[in-house]
Amino acid sequence: MADFDVVVVGAGPAGACAATVLARKGRSVLLLERGPFPGSKNMYGGVVYPRMLDQLHPEWWDDVPYQRWITRRSTMMLTDSQAISVDFRTAAWGRPPYNGMTAYRPDFDHWLARKAERDGAELLCATTATGLLRDGDRVVGVRTDRPDGDATAEVVIACDGVNSFLAKEAGLFGTVDASNYTLGVKETLAMPKEVIDERFAVRGREGVDIEILGGTSGVGGGGFVYTNLDTLGVGVVLKVPALAAQSVRPEAIIAALKAHPAIAPLVDGGELVEYSAHLIPEAGLSMIPTLATHGMVVAGDAASLCLAAGIWLEGVNFAIASGMYAGEAVDEALQARDVSVQGLAGYERRLASTFVLRDHRKLRRVPALMLSDRVQNEYPQLAANVVERMFRVDNPAPKPGLRRIVKEERRRAGIRLRHLARDAWAGVRGFG
Amino acid sequence: MLAVIPVRDGELPAGALETIAECAGRVVLVGDRLDGVDLIADLVGATDVRAIELGTYAPGSWAASLGALVDDEPIIVLPASPDGRDLAPRLAYVLDRPLVANAVSITPERATVPRRGGLELHVLAVVTPVVATLQPGVRGFELAASGATHQTVAVDRREAPDPTVVAVHPPDVTTIDLTEAGRIAAGGAGLDSAARFEQLARVAAALGGAMGATRVITDRAWVGHERQIGTTGVVVSPELYLAFGISGAVQHTSGLGDPRHVISVNTDPHCPMMQMSDLAVVSDANAVLDELELLLGAIADG
Amino acid sequence: MNVLVCWKWVALDDDDRWAGVSAADEAALEVALTLAGEHGDDSFVTVATVGPPPADATLRDAMARGARRAVRVDSPRDLRSEAVATALAPLTVGYTWVLCGDYSLDRGSGSVPALIAAHRDIAQALGLVDVRGDGDGRLRALRRLDGGRREELSVTSPAVVSVEGSVARLRRASLTAELAARTAAIELVDGPAGPRETPIEAGPYRPRARVLPAPSGSDALTRIRALMSSGAAVTHGENVTLDPPEAAFRIVQALRDWGYVSPLLEGTPTA
Ligand SMILES: Cc1cc2nc3c(=O)[nH]c(=O)nc-3n(C[C@H](O)[C@H](O)[C@H](O)COP(=O)(O)OP(=O)(O)OC[C@H]3O[C@@H](n4cnc5c(N)ncnc54)[C@H](O)[C@@H]3O)c2cc1C
Ligand SMILES: Cc1cc2nc3c(=O)[nH]c(=O)nc-3n(C[C@H](O)[C@H](O)[C@H](O)COP(=O)(O)OP(=O)(O)OC[C@H]3O[C@@H](n4cnc5c(N)ncnc54)[C@H](O)[C@@H]3O)c2cc1C
Ligand SMILES: Nc1ncnc2c1ncn2[C@@H]1O[C@H](COP(=O)(O)O)[C@@H](O)[C@H]1O
Repeated sequence: MADFDVVVVGAGPAGACAATVLARKGRSVLLLERGPFPGSKNMYGGVVYPRMLDQLHPEWWDDVPYQRWITRRSTMMLTDSQAISVDFRTAAWGRPPYNGMTAYRPDFDHWLARKAERDGAELLCATTATGLLRDGDRVVGVRTDRPDGDATAEVVIACDGVNSFLAKEAGLFGTVDASNYTLGVKETLAMPKEVIDERFAVRGREGVDIEILGGTSGVGGGGFVYTNLDTLGVGVVLKVPALAAQSVRPEAIIAALKAHPAIAPLVDGGELVEYSAHLIPEAGLSMIPTLATHGMVVAGDAASLCLAAGIWLEGVNFAIASGMYAGEAVDEALQARDVSVQGLAGYERRLASTFVLRDHRKLRRVPALMLSDRVQNEYPQLAANVVERMFRVDNPAPKPGLRRIVKEERRRAGIRLRHLARDAWAGVRGFG
Repeated sequence: MLAVIPVRDGELPAGALETIAECAGRVVLVGDRLDGVDLIADLVGATDVRAIELGTYAPGSWAASLGALVDDEPIIVLPASPDGRDLAPRLAYVLDRPLVANAVSITPERATVPRRGGLELHVLAVVTPVVATLQPGVRGFELAASGATHQTVAVDRREAPDPTVVAVHPPDVTTIDLTEAGRIAAGGAGLDSAARFEQLARVAAALGGAMGATRVITDRAWVGHERQIGTTGVVVSPELYLAFGISGAVQHTSGLGDPRHVISVNTDPHCPMMQMSDLAVVSDANAVLDELELLLGAIADG
Repeated sequence: MNVLVCWKWVALDDDDRWAGVSAADEAALEVALTLAGEHGDDSFVTVATVGPPPADATLRDAMARGARRAVRVDSPRDLRSEAVATALAPLTVGYTWVLCGDYSLDRGSGSVPALIAAHRDIAQALGLVDVRGDGDGRLRALRRLDGGRREELSVTSPAVVSVEGSVARLRRASLTAELAARTAAIELVDGPAGPRETPIEAGPYRPRARVLPAPSGSDALTRIRALMSSGAAVTHGENVTLDPPEAAFRIVQALRDWGYVSPLLEGTPTA
């Protein structure tokens, strides 16, 4: 007899939700977390898209530890000295059921994991899974760093985050290529609430999420600025090979972003309270490993189910959903007494029929496109120049036609029409 | 207010003179080989000096022996030196009084005490009679001439269960370089690994100085406890002090003496260590150490 | 030979995430477990705390690591040290040794152990940097004194002993013990509700302005130098935010300006 029905490794959003689902089905669940409490080691803050919580924890907004509801979302394109932004705001996102919120991960993950505990999962912190226990080709538990630390289980769910050690050990990843990863680097800046409210034109618990293209000092990537209650999250997401090639420090890139004329007025005077860096599996579908083996499934970032396609940066919602589906599928397999790959196939089936894999499929070409040099550097420059000339008043010269501006600027930027057309098509296919 | 100073083998404990000054010159010296020690008290303007020979230090016995003698003093202050902080609670118990421990200042009305590991100060109302201990190194004192009255008081040594002193060891050789160093580079919880402290030692050596650490670090056994700077560690007196990732809690800074120059690297510009620095650099101390090692290496290689 | 360990549970505000005991308390438990372990199976360790219900988590942690019994004296968290010691003292009766940390996480004055010893009228050996059994039923202990000196003590039972955090590293709990401790029984004892410590003011730590000895010296120059070198009056230095390479550069520049690094050395960066 195994010690537990299921051992879930990692009490991030994926692990907590998998554990909740299984505990509610009456399964004995051990939820392992290496940090002193859930969320303690996780990237501080960000935007959480909570739709999936409606099913798992109805009325979750009553007690979720959030910072602000996102009611305004901007997408900015930056060149060295220019900026274009598309700004959207709606009061509807400030009311239940809400579309997105900023939250501190040590608060959010802790809250989510406590719910799993309340539903009957055993949460064990300060415990690192160091390897898999096997019986032939079947995973039968995990080894931990504690003395006498083996925990056997019918099924192991690996929710151990990006670069999953367990998925690798189970041989679920092909060769991992550094160019598929991006590095997320983030600063948390303290700023009085009133100052944030004024600078970002929001009130009460309304908040803003700005996604930025360009502005990363020529290193491929993007940036973001989020409002928390009385801090700002300012960060960049950088392509790892480009970073290595240019040997610039990520801090320097954030510093340059913060000094950009379009960003500086928002962040000036903020006092640095936290700096953190974390890998993101950015390259989308092409990176997703095999999702199951005998006795084990992989969910969340561990399965590279994070959507980081340019202006999209979503991971928590994918983690929650994949965790829930993993929980359901594992319960099904336990019921059928078949925890082989075939028995666990319900997991991939669920992912394939929901946004988890559909969004990835839809956006599969986007990461490569968004990270191409043209989108990163040339197009923002082109677009900004075009817009600048359109709005510039050159009296006594008459206003030039848009077509002429575009043509001239495109030539000046050395962008081939062929590329532009191809990228536009890729964009339409990718996002459409 | 009355200062009670435990003296060991003719040596005043840390913070003795400050405690005497805080008590405006009224002092009882207790211990062994007090001859001559009492005259030092005069330097800080003592007015009334009593000396009580009680033999070797023994907290239980001393508290029992002293009790009756000081019972009518509303406020008794001891230095929060190792022996002072050992003796004060026992004395408070014998006198059936509350204890205010580790105060950074004490007056008949208010006592200020560090809390939350030294990062906060709380003010407590003083309700007399009381026994207090004063954190050494935070107050300072002025030299003042005095015409103190000196008196030797005979007190019977009452026995109590105390441990037996087997030996008193002189300072460890490994601490001597620290206590005598003119330049010290020290690190705290802002540094990220035990290996950082090896690097810190190299940087200190490149500057011709020694490496020290805070208690958080010695508790983690990243460096030996003999490297701990502060009131419960080694009290140092460098000319130059570089603090990497040290918040500057009172128990640490009060062991620093009066460095002529202080440089601090910290991500928090408002922490006490940064406040008391001549050059306060807001930056990641780990990365700065990397750079500094390179730079100093380059200078040395010239 | 049984040992009682006193653990103080400290939490930041009402949040159990940032709660725990000091490194010194952890070391105390490790020393206790070692001492009891050297004495065979009948010896055991009990852990006691004076605090509110959330402190149970800490007691369970101690049990997972090897304490056999756990006692919580039910009291509010900001009880004054005298009341804490009064509540703990009766529990210590019958134990060979009482082991404490040299400091608690919040108050950290190291008073409670001495107050317990005073209550019980037994010996104390506090602020130890080393302690071990001497094979003869006593403890051999090294206590830190002023100026780097050390006092070597021989301690006879019963006694209260407190240790610094560097003395021992607390063992980890095994997986099974950790899970078993979750349902282990904690003995509950009624405790005092006061007196509690209630500050009349609280704020961040700021150094007290120091009084300085008047400058002395034979000539004006020495006196001025004495005055200038006493950095105690809080210096209003330069506060700069810099990237690490610039920071290092600025530091070397300051060291050079102040004469710690020779300006003559080749390769010295210049502003
Ligand atoms: C800079 C940056 C910004 C982001 N912004 C957003 C955003 O705005 N919105 C959004 O939705 N997503 C965002 N993401 C992505 C999001 O953080 C992840 O997709 C999400 O956290 C994945 O959840 P998870 O549960 O799979 O993994 P994680 O949250 O990484 O959790 C894994 C857990 O497992 C634990 N663990 C790891 N290994 C072990 C082990 N061996 N034993 C025991 N425990 C272990 C870890 O301590 C951790 O708690 C961002 C990511 C980055 C880096
Ligand atoms: C009775 C008693 C006696 C004590 N005796 C001593 C003693 O002798 N010596 C002693 O040192 N302490 C002593 N203490 C402990 C003291 O109160 C403090 O807890 C300790 O000095 C704090 O050490 P720290 O500055 O390393 O850690 P913290 O207070 O945790 O400070 C860490 C600092 O590092 C900064 N930081 C974090 N990350 C970075 C980064 N990446 N780059 C730069 N900076 C960073 C933080 O902003 C913070 O300021 C004693 C306490 C008590 C109660
Ligand atoms: N409330 C408490 N419960 C149990 N032990 C305590 C308590 N307070 C202090 N102690 C013990 O006394 C030591 C010193 O605490 P303090 O006097 O607060 O510095 C701690 O390390 C504990 O071992």
